[in-house]
Amino acid sequence: MRMRLKLKTVFVLYFMVSLFGLLYALMQLGQRCDCRDHEQSKDQQISQLKGELQKLQEHIKTSELSKKTDVPRIYVITPTYARLVQKAELTRLSHTFLHVPQLHWIVVEDAPQQTQLVSDFLSASGLTYTHLNKLTPKERKLQEGDPNWLKPRGAEQRNEGLRWLRWMGSTVHGKEAAALEEAVVYFADDDNTYSLQLFEEMRYTYRVSVWPVGLVGGMKFERPVVEDGKVVRFHTGWRPNRPFPIDMAGFAVSLRLVLTNKEALFDGDAQMGFLESSFLQHLVTMDDLEPKADLCTKVLVWHTRTEKPKMKREEALLKQGMGSDPDVEV
Amino acid sequence: MPKRKDVLALILIVLPWTLLITLWHQRAGNPLLPIPRDNRTGTSKAHQRSFRLQKPCLSENKHIPEVTRMKSIHSRSPAWSNALPTLHIITPTYSRPVQKAELTRLANTLLHVPNLHWLLVEDSAQKTPLVSRLLENSRLNYTHLNVETPPNLKVQRTKFRNARIPRGTMQRNLALRWLRANIGPRLGQSGVVYFADDDNTYSLELFEEMRWTHKASVWPVAFVGGLRYESPKINSQGKVSGWRTVFDPRRPFAIDMAGFAVNLQLILSKPQAYFKLKGVKGGYQESSLLQDLVTLSDLEPKADNCTKVLVWHTRTERPLLVNEGKKGFTDGRVEELLHNTKKKKKRRSFRFMWTKKTDCILLREDLHIHTVFRMPQR
Repeated sequence: MRMRLKLKTVFVLYFMVSLFGLLYALMQLGQRCDCRDHEQSKDQQISQLKGELQKLQEHIKTSELSKKTDVPRIYVITPTYARLVQKAELTRLSHTFLHVPQLHWIVVEDAPQQTQLVSDFLSASGLTYTHLNKLTPKERKLQEGDPNWLKPRGAEQRNEGLRWLRWMGSTVHGKEAAALEEAVVYFADDDNTYSLQLFEEMRYTYRVSVWPVGLVGGMKFERPVVEDGKVVRFHTGWRPNRPFPIDMAGFAVSLRLVLTNKEALFDGDAQMGFLESSFLQHLVTMDDLEPKADLCTKVLVWHTRTEKPKMKREEALLKQGMGSDPDVEV
Repeated sequence: MPKRKDVLALILIVLPWTLLITLWHQRAGNPLLPIPRDNRTGTSKAHQRSFRLQKPCLSENKHIPEVTRMKSIHSRSPAWSNALPTLHIITPTYSRPVQKAELTRLANTLLHVPNLHWLLVEDSAQKTPLVSRLLENSRLNYTHLNVETPPNLKVQRTKFRNARIPRGTMQRNLALRWLRANIGPRLGQSGVVYFADDDNTYSLELFEEMRWTHKASVWPVAFVGGLRYESPKINSQGKVSGWRTVFDPRRPFAIDMAGFAVNLQLILSKPQAYFKLKGVKGGYQESSLLQDLVTLSDLEPKADNCTKVLVWHTRTERPLLVNEGKKGFTDGRVEELLHNTKKKKKRRSFRFMWTKKTDCILLREDLHIHTVFRMPQR
């Protein structure tokens, strides 16, 4: 009897202890953590959080873009040249491009060699890219003090981009070649502003598609005028008699058209404003243009231009031999 | 019978222990809870609760007028984790031709930053549909505010320099107000406040540098003060000892608006700290806020001890809309700008110049007319 009693009490005690332990643990779950002891391992916490942040960022990158692999690819050709704001312009441009699935960025520098700044930038950007360079011959280059409308800029670089595309088109086979059939080529300057919807509009281009461009030609926007689903003329404030009075940012060409018309290039000697026409007239007539952006009623791209930063004090410092550290990349 | 009793007893003993052990296991294995994708609506609802305004905001300070209406929405946020400090980005904006473009590309940048809350404050009497639509269509967490700077206090080219207030001051103050009214100093509500103008350029690393601000952090800014970049001077102890600027380096905080960020709790704990509205000398606006919040020794240098440039003070050219309207000169600003370049020559002589040069006019490059243009033929 004694033994039994003892065992019973033991069991009861055991049960009560475990029950209380369980209740305590459940209560603990509802409480806020007393963070005083966390203070001591703040650095640990920070590195833990940073790790989680990295995980999140990768998650964003991979989940959004990797989903869409079955849409036509967009090849964006951007001519660029070294100046103070170059890195800033490319940075914010890359932020826009990172949102666009199936985008291949072709950056062509106006330089004798590829610069460290652009190479480092592109490799860190997270985009699919091709880095090229082509120097504009001296006689076609703008000199100091020239107004920047005097000579067309970027023609050689865009042609280099086209040359690369044609080379690529002739060397790929199979799946890649099939992908190129539906791809689109767009010429994006590094100082313009692009909305994300623009890329979705241009993605399905059969020949050449067009749309309005904001803040160009001295107007709030320039646009093709559409009647019955076809482009009949262009609403522009300057020289509407050009064959294609449209800005570089206002059209996209299907890669197929570029590859079949191997002679179509930008004419670096063209008169101001005729650069786009020099290229497009080899490819298409006004009848064949495909109007986008709600039959050319929405502005999805703006021809913004960035001011040249004032460097008066920098120049003054340089004279004194105390200029800013040239190792710091700006 | 005894068998049953034994079994019952056994179960009663084992059960709580198994529960205890499983709970302990869970807690030990999962200190931080990552938010899976489908849980997003849950977190955004929680934030809706915390960010939605309960009652209209009353003005206590006579400089800050009453706000009529506020709107705060959390839609499909880019990425959110309950563990990371929130970045509250305050952007004042005003209506001009490039506004939509600037806000579009800024939004494209901000979409890459997790745990971001964008406070966009318009300089207008009412919220404009342009900005409202832009914010709704972006996928950002935002708060849309507005306050109009009284026209007599706006930056003028001439007269009454003391009465002018720097652009964006009232708007930034309103945003600070909103934060103080809507985010109480709760435990664990970690955040950082940053003033981002809509025409600057920000790299993504900048946001991650500022996220870990304890009090106030600083870093170099490019293209300000007439230099390639301005930056704080860091001494051998890793503390800010001065300012590497040419323009008035004796200012208490010789730094641009884009060059510092402040911890949210610090803002909330000092409710009197605002940007000074009147009587602020050029370049002292940032100091007017920071001197109420921190001292020089409290500043935390970021960007590799202030040796990397992660933000550029870019400025967008104002497009001259000369070809709008029939005669091409209905836009009054055109005449104003041309007036300035001709070095105070009168309008009359400009017209004379126009006709003399047979319909063509060449303007200086810095006026960003990059074409030779004729009078449009109508």
